[in-house]
Amino acid sequence: MIDLNKIDIIVSENGTEKTALIPILQSIQREFNYLPEEALRRVSEISKIKPAEIIGVASFYSQFRLAPVGEHMVRVCVGTACHVKGATQVYDALRRAFKLKDGEHTDQSRKYTIEKVSCLGCCTLAPVVQIDQITYGHVTSDKADDIIKDFETQKDNKSKKRFRKSDGTEIQGEIRIGLGSCCVASGSSDIKDAVESTINETGLKVKLKSVGCVGMCHQVPLVEIVPVNGEATLYSKVKPEDIQQIVASHFQPSGLFPRLRNRFFNAVGNIQTDQKWKGIERYELNIREKHVSSFLGKQFPIATEHRGMINPLDLEEYQQHGGFLALKKVFSEFTPGQVTDKIKSSGLRGRGGAGFPTGIKWELVAKQTSEIKYLICNGDEGDPGAFMDRMLLESYPYRVIEGMIIAAYAVNTREGYFYIRAEYPLAVKRIRAALEICRENNLIGKNILGSGFDFNVKIYEGAGAFVCGEETALIQSIEGNRGFPHLRPPFPAEKGLFGLPTLVNNTETFAQISFIMRDTVDRFTRIGTAKSKGTKVFALAGKEARGGLIEVPMGMTIRQIVDEIGGGIANGRKFQAVQIGGPSGGCIPASLQDTPIDYESLTSLGAMMGSGGLIVLDDTDCMVDIARFFLSFTQEESCGKCTFCRVGTKRMLDILDNLTQGKSKPGDLEKLEKLAGWTKKGSLCGLGRSAPNPILSTLKYFREEYEAHLNGICPTGKCSALVNYSINDNCIGCTLCVQRCPVDAIPFLPHQKHVINAELCIKCDACRQVCPVEAVVVK
Amino acid sequence: MVHLKINGQDIEVEAGVSVLKAAEKAGVKVPSLCYNEELGHFTSCMLCLVKDARDGRLFPSCSVISTEGLSVITDDEEITEARQTGLELLLSEHVGDCQGPCQIACPAHMDIPQMNRLIAAGKFKEALKLVKKDIALPAVLGRICPAPCEGACHRKTVDASVSICLLKRFVGDENELHPFDPLPLNGKRVAVIGAGPAGLAASYYLQLNGYQTVLYDRNDLPGGLLRTEIKAEILPLNVLDQEIGTILSTGVEFRGGVEINASYFHDIVSQYNAVIVATGNLADEIRNWGFTTTAKGIEADQNSYVTSLKGVFAIGNTLRSSRLAVRSVGQGKEVAWSVAQYLSGEEPKGEPRLFNSRFGRLFQEEISEYLKESVPFNRVNSETLKYSGLTKEEAMEEARRCLHCDCRDIENCKLRDLSGRYDASQRRFAGNERKLMTKHFTHSIVYEPLKCIKCGICVRMTSKYQEKFGFSYIGRGFDVVIGVPFNESVEAGLAETAEKVAKACPTGALSVKDSK
Repeated sequence: MIDLNKIDIIVSENGTEKTALIPILQSIQREFNYLPEEALRRVSEISKIKPAEIIGVASFYSQFRLAPVGEHMVRVCVGTACHVKGATQVYDALRRAFKLKDGEHTDQSRKYTIEKVSCLGCCTLAPVVQIDQITYGHVTSDKADDIIKDFETQKDNKSKKRFRKSDGTEIQGEIRIGLGSCCVASGSSDIKDAVESTINETGLKVKLKSVGCVGMCHQVPLVEIVPVNGEATLYSKVKPEDIQQIVASHFQPSGLFPRLRNRFFNAVGNIQTDQKWKGIERYELNIREKHVSSFLGKQFPIATEHRGMINPLDLEEYQQHGGFLALKKVFSEFTPGQVTDKIKSSGLRGRGGAGFPTGIKWELVAKQTSEIKYLICNGDEGDPGAFMDRMLLESYPYRVIEGMIIAAYAVNTREGYFYIRAEYPLAVKRIRAALEICRENNLIGKNILGSGFDFNVKIYEGAGAFVCGEETALIQSIEGNRGFPHLRPPFPAEKGLFGLPTLVNNTETFAQISFIMRDTVDRFTRIGTAKSKGTKVFALAGKEARGGLIEVPMGMTIRQIVDEIGGGIANGRKFQAVQIGGPSGGCIPASLQDTPIDYESLTSLGAMMGSGGLIVLDDTDCMVDIARFFLSFTQEESCGKCTFCRVGTKRMLDILDNLTQGKSKPGDLEKLEKLAGWTKKGSLCGLGRSAPNPILSTLKYFREEYEAHLNGICPTGKCSALVNYSINDNCIGCTLCVQRCPVDAIPFLPHQKHVINAELCIKCDACRQVCPVEAVVVK
Repeated sequence: MVHLKINGQDIEVEAGVSVLKAAEKAGVKVPSLCYNEELGHFTSCMLCLVKDARDGRLFPSCSVISTEGLSVITDDEEITEARQTGLELLLSEHVGDCQGPCQIACPAHMDIPQMNRLIAAGKFKEALKLVKKDIALPAVLGRICPAPCEGACHRKTVDASVSICLLKRFVGDENELHPFDPLPLNGKRVAVIGAGPAGLAASYYLQLNGYQTVLYDRNDLPGGLLRTEIKAEILPLNVLDQEIGTILSTGVEFRGGVEINASYFHDIVSQYNAVIVATGNLADEIRNWGFTTTAKGIEADQNSYVTSLKGVFAIGNTLRSSRLAVRSVGQGKEVAWSVAQYLSGEEPKGEPRLFNSRFGRLFQEEISEYLKESVPFNRVNSETLKYSGLTKEEAMEEARRCLHCDCRDIENCKLRDLSGRYDASQRRFAGNERKLMTKHFTHSIVYEPLKCIKCGICVRMTSKYQEKFGFSYIGRGFDVVIGVPFNESVEAGLAETAEKVAKACPTGALSVKDSK
């Protein structure tokens, strides 16, 4: 029995209308960790929401669980970057570690429940596993037990150190710590604690500052030291125990006594640092470099202007850097029509993927005569390899809000929504705080900055459905329904939220507005190509040497991004392709790497700007497996409303499953092509219409790989059903593989060449990963 | 008013009317499964795709409002392929049999499950009427048929197949007269050469349809191999004579003891409006009659039985030697269709072949679901009954063992109709595995979730009529199911609207229990 009073309270807090349904369910799940049937029945009794609506919604969104789970949630990220780095093996290894049988997700002790999540947005730490709030990066399949052990020791270990604030007069400099999700996931809060305690103990007068995402997610956690005089130094991949030394090398303690203490700590610090750190890579490594100028140098920040310099929630700082100037200018100099005209002449196109001209959309909404109109900021970033929206919301909340207010003014709406993915709790928290601060400063609410213009914004948390990135589905979701898209027209601009005209723009689109309006439009139109103006933010991840969040001018070539920003391919492998646009996009082969990135050129190659995921693939990546990966994602995320998407994606996945498992039949490629073509043509919304792109583009550029699979061969050895593991003569008999093998498929024969028993082998890849001499052959 | 073109035809409709409705006004019925007059459009099945003539884009006509100057093509090769593909995708997850596997296996395609229901209900006359629609000689075949139907019977997975053959014999034995009144003669005359099972069956159905049929045979008595090749203890002559009697009593004129050669044959062809050759295994003599032949027999179309000679059809062992009398009997029925089509100036196509959904083998886990409509008794011991046949009680009991694999909504299934019309193949996009079937009964309807095509009509309708629980989409994507919230029963979910919803279901997922 559950306490039904709790349900009554939740309903009274959220309301009894259908629009309250998703928030009610989210509250119930927060309370009980799942949605007990009794609770749902109670909701139907005391609200206007019908049982069919409740169960329809509760079973649609992946955030909701209808069955109880274990004490701790183990989330294995199976986003694109994690996938290409072996997330499936990690997932399988964890399942083995928890001794789960087929169909089970909670272990015997009911302590752990394992689930796959489509993207935790820490692509640069791939593969990533999250247990409750602790994130483990660079996990390999042989680390499963270590992670669990580590979690057991860490889970109750909450740091209680507090930072004593310096008075500001004697500041010797600033220590900036990245607090984007990647940084936090990589341990930046531990770093922050370490800095705080170091400052406390040394009595240094330095300012500790949290800054938004710098974009260099491949180097997290990042710590930047900015002395009052002298050059700033950026430290990457910092460990907590490095902090003392870093701090000491830049700042001199003020008094004699602390100076001595500092030295002492310094020495101790050295010893500690030299110790080999044994932890699983909760946060890692010891390579340190100064500014990576090539990574940042080629970029052009507009949406991410002043990256790494401003505290996300410091309004004053945002204003010092030109924040809200655009808004003030708009209010004082332009009519709404003039704003729309400027956006039209800027050539700005929607950054959500399809590239619809933003100004024209605004004009459509502006000309609607309805008394009430809505504005929605689409932050439902569902692409499993993208995290731009998350980063913009977390790091530049004011810039997005400013863009929204300007848009609201232009189209004459007074009510706005932030629709943010539930998987982005930090983004929700920041936006909530930013909106509160804006309200306090008359930037949101009535008579904004004395302009006479009113605008209010609510936050709506998505509940886990990729399809809700599609604007008509998103609107359904806010209305408290299953995220079923409907056919456009009517477009939301005419008939949107609650049947009223609604402007839906992507987060990144809003983040570009203030730049355009602050100065002359020319400044923006000079950047980019003839038809694609400005910049685009990409989440660069995969096999490049340096990944992260980048913002580049439209028209930059794939080669420039991969080689100059990404630093080429890691580990000396060969560049094979980039996957652009996530599940809606396609693979562009290395042979076309001089293609400039803009909307038209990507579409003509069978890819798509999409939401901006950019995954670099090397010659060890199997293109059939990549196509299968994306299709399994879209198939999972299909809402199930229309035939071509619901069944078409499943049948294509069946064929790809068979290809990767050596069960394919002659004619399968033709069937796959036919289905892909019809799913594209016959589906209701963008999800289904673009779902075949990963297949069609790989079929176009890598058909020989498909043909090899048809003959039972996976050229890269990625498709485990098609390969066998063996050991060659390089073997030195070190038994490392023997120790790692989870199924005892390698007999313990020290100093002899090891042998893998193919019948026992489960192809978990642990032996290959651990072998010091590359003696494990996958063929 | 809005003006648009449907297939080039100018149409004027009121503002706000969908393209689907505009097409209807132009006399074009665009197919759809998810559109419902009462509930409106939903855009799920996507079968109503039509083409914008201006840019060639396909769009769902149910959900697009007619706009001034729109020009729409409702049918062309691409649209046909789109609908066919859509149907094939729906069929790939539509787990259910249209006709029972027994009926499909039966060379005469007799409606066996319905026969079983009628026998079980004691409605023997009606059972005979049903059987005779497809099988002209049930008492005879009930004794000699090797019963391919029983090989396909799903009951085999449970214990042993239903004794279909004995039941058919029971039906044939139980009634002496043929149950139909022939149509009045229409003045056209058909000759049937050969009075074996094929010729007898063809004569019967033609005569019933108003064609004066003359049945020739070289022997004095009709029956062909049935009379000469089968032991009397298996097929007593009185049974044969009696059943042939029911055929001749419809007005078929029998001319026995007539030896036919090439010239006589051509005389016959010139005297009659149509001729059916059913002379049994092909004799050398007939090779001279002018047909195109192969080593096996006369060459004829396998559906229409049209031969190379105009107005002449061929059936039975003349096409290909076979020991299956039931096949010959079935062909006799089918050729009657062809001849009728031919004589009314149409292209002969034979008996209309409807689409049949099939799922193949029944899984062990599904047996209990199928037994919900049956009884657990064992099969009557047919070896000992081979000669005596079934008593009335035995027959009724055995008939109740039938699992009723056929679909209740077979006569009223849009999915089946359209699949036939667009020549959809259920196998083309068959998936790797199929889910397990379940059946849910209420006092008035049956719900079979795996037949569901997710059109949402029931969900929308239960919502409209304010059902307390109603039906809901549960889950999403391919795994979405339509079910009742909070694990309530279907009875509770459809407390008020069961029959209404069942009737609105475009396929057999929801059907009225007593519809068959």
